[in-house]
Amino acid sequence: MLAHHRTDRVLAEFEQVLEALAPAARKGLAAAFVALDQGARLYPRSRGRRFTRLDDQVAEAYVRALLSRGLLAELVQRIKGLVVMCYYGLPAVQREIGYDPAPYIAAVSRRRLESYGPQIRAGEAAVTSKQSTRNGEQPGGDSGRPGAGP
Amino acid sequence: MSVPSGLITAAEVPADMSLECGVVIVGSGAGGATMAAELAEAGVDVVMIEEGGYHPTESFTPDTLRALRTLYRDGGGGMTVGRPSVLFAEGRCVGGSTVVNGGMSWQTPGQVLERWAEQEDVRAIGERDMDPYFARAEARHSVGLQDPETIGRDSELLKAGAEASGWSVVPNRRNQLHCAGTNCCTSGCPTGAKRSMLVTSVPRALALGARLFADCRVDRVTRSAGAATGVTGHFIRPGGVRGPRLTVRAPAVIVAGGAIQTPALLARSGLRSASGQLGRNLSMHPNAHVIAFFDSDVSGWRGVHQAFQVREFTSEGLILTATNLPPPMQAALLPAYGRELGELMADYNRVVTAGPLVTDSGAGRVRNVPGLGPQVFYRLTDATAARLVRGVELTAQALFAAGARRMLLPFDGAPEVRSPGQLRDLLARPVPKRSIQVYSIHLMGTARMSEDPRRGVTDSFGAFHGVPGLTVADASLFPGPIGVNPMETVIALAMRNARYLLERGLLERRERYTI
Repeated sequence: MLAHHRTDRVLAEFEQVLEALAPAARKGLAAAFVALDQGARLYPRSRGRRFTRLDDQVAEAYVRALLSRGLLAELVQRIKGLVVMCYYGLPAVQREIGYDPAPYIAAVSRRRLESYGPQIRAGEAAVTSKQSTRNGEQPGGDSGRPGAGP
Repeated sequence: MSVPSGLITAAEVPADMSLECGVVIVGSGAGGATMAAELAEAGVDVVMIEEGGYHPTESFTPDTLRALRTLYRDGGGGMTVGRPSVLFAEGRCVGGSTVVNGGMSWQTPGQVLERWAEQEDVRAIGERDMDPYFARAEARHSVGLQDPETIGRDSELLKAGAEASGWSVVPNRRNQLHCAGTNCCTSGCPTGAKRSMLVTSVPRALALGARLFADCRVDRVTRSAGAATGVTGHFIRPGGVRGPRLTVRAPAVIVAGGAIQTPALLARSGLRSASGQLGRNLSMHPNAHVIAFFDSDVSGWRGVHQAFQVREFTSEGLILTATNLPPPMQAALLPAYGRELGELMADYNRVVTAGPLVTDSGAGRVRNVPGLGPQVFYRLTDATAARLVRGVELTAQALFAAGARRMLLPFDGAPEVRSPGQLRDLLARPVPKRSIQVYSIHLMGTARMSEDPRRGVTDSFGAFHGVPGLTVADASLFPGPIGVNPMETVIALAMRNARYLLERGLLERRERYTI
């Protein structure tokens, strides 16, 4: 289900994500993983193998079979969510799908400073200025009440 | 990493410590940091305590996973108990959720303030009362409209589709100082253009003499003879290891941990509300996402987050907006697996992700569960579920009108829809409530205001009924959902309530600090 040559990096990310979760969520997830892995043995096409031993096609079919089963489906979706987050968090994978924000961010950050440098510096300096309500320039013109767009 | 003067991290605290101050504030988000800046400016000796770490602007990158680990509570993976379970996120860092929110700044709708005054018995909450505080909040945080060159194509497409349908669309008001449009709001703004508490009220409070302890979890609010006397807590070392204890004695305690952590802290401190409402009445502004695929390039990450809001359906409790998600979040959201997911993600740059934000009813509750800590219970009511489905339908209609070729809806097992007709047919059948994929970042209402102690946890100004010296200052105070992004309401209420504390002489002042 994953590009195999990236498995180690995905697992490394996954380990870090797990550390950030609440202890209860971590425990629940660990139990869910064991259930997902061992539960595959009961899936007819697995021929008694664990999830981690299945080939891609059978593994995908097993996951799809679980998706029709209420609470199990929710569990599988959460696990899938975490795993694919780690996969699509890898910069190399992001570049493959056309997401490479660093050059864009550098360019628009530069444009911002070139276009509005003095106002930005005034606004930032005002944070610690004596006058407590200021921002270096006037805020946008409408009233801010919902529905009161310009 | 340089740390501002007055900010103390766990690494700098080798042993247990105790101190005294005029007021101790738990939390450094919209409510806590605002209170700190207002009170420090008036000469009060302020100590802030923040459970999360200090992460300055220069440390922010578009790395979503890193942001989830460092800036969010529990990796951003909060989940309610209930079916469907609602995935929610809370900020946990210096600056709180303002560091990771979208930066939408809207005043509380007038009819909401009116309802709070008339039905919830909240005093001094009319538009005239609040307007000066909204003005002050907007000035401090540079609230205004986006510079036009920063608006992304995903926002433009939703706007075009809504306008083609004849619907009202308004540009979003945001707390930003010439936002560059990096679309990194939820990972921490890498330019500092988003005027979160991290770059406004926190540094202002510190410059005015406040102290801020980061990486420190407050365990309890302490009391003596019924009055609040301070807090106890402990520092958190890397890896979550428990560090030295911190004891703060203060005649005034302000709790601003957000609508989940605030009632949890108060309850584990043994506090009870005669109203029975502490931890109850939780609203979440649930939202759901439609993922629409276009033939041409969208690259929604090239431009600001949520540039517009569709306001045509506010009377139905619905706001529609486009929210570009970075690839990790988009992949987690897509209802696909294996090869199919890979194919959908290959079209990442042709996608618009949009959806409704729904005004719900206070059907949630926060409870401390032994061994698990604070847990959130939330029941999606039939009325809220119907609104969500309606909002999804309207969003999808707008995106078809904008030229979308196909769409994935946030209902488990729903087939892809390829035309408005298919959409109508699909939604002509009831959508099971438990099949809706629901998300939330707006958490409100768990320590609601009311002058009537039988109805509210706090009075009209956030003072906890029956516990002198204890004040609440976050979205817990809202008697109900407000139907718009809540940050500005939290800030304005904090400014108003700070002034009330000062004018009533409820806080000791020392010699006024000057900058």
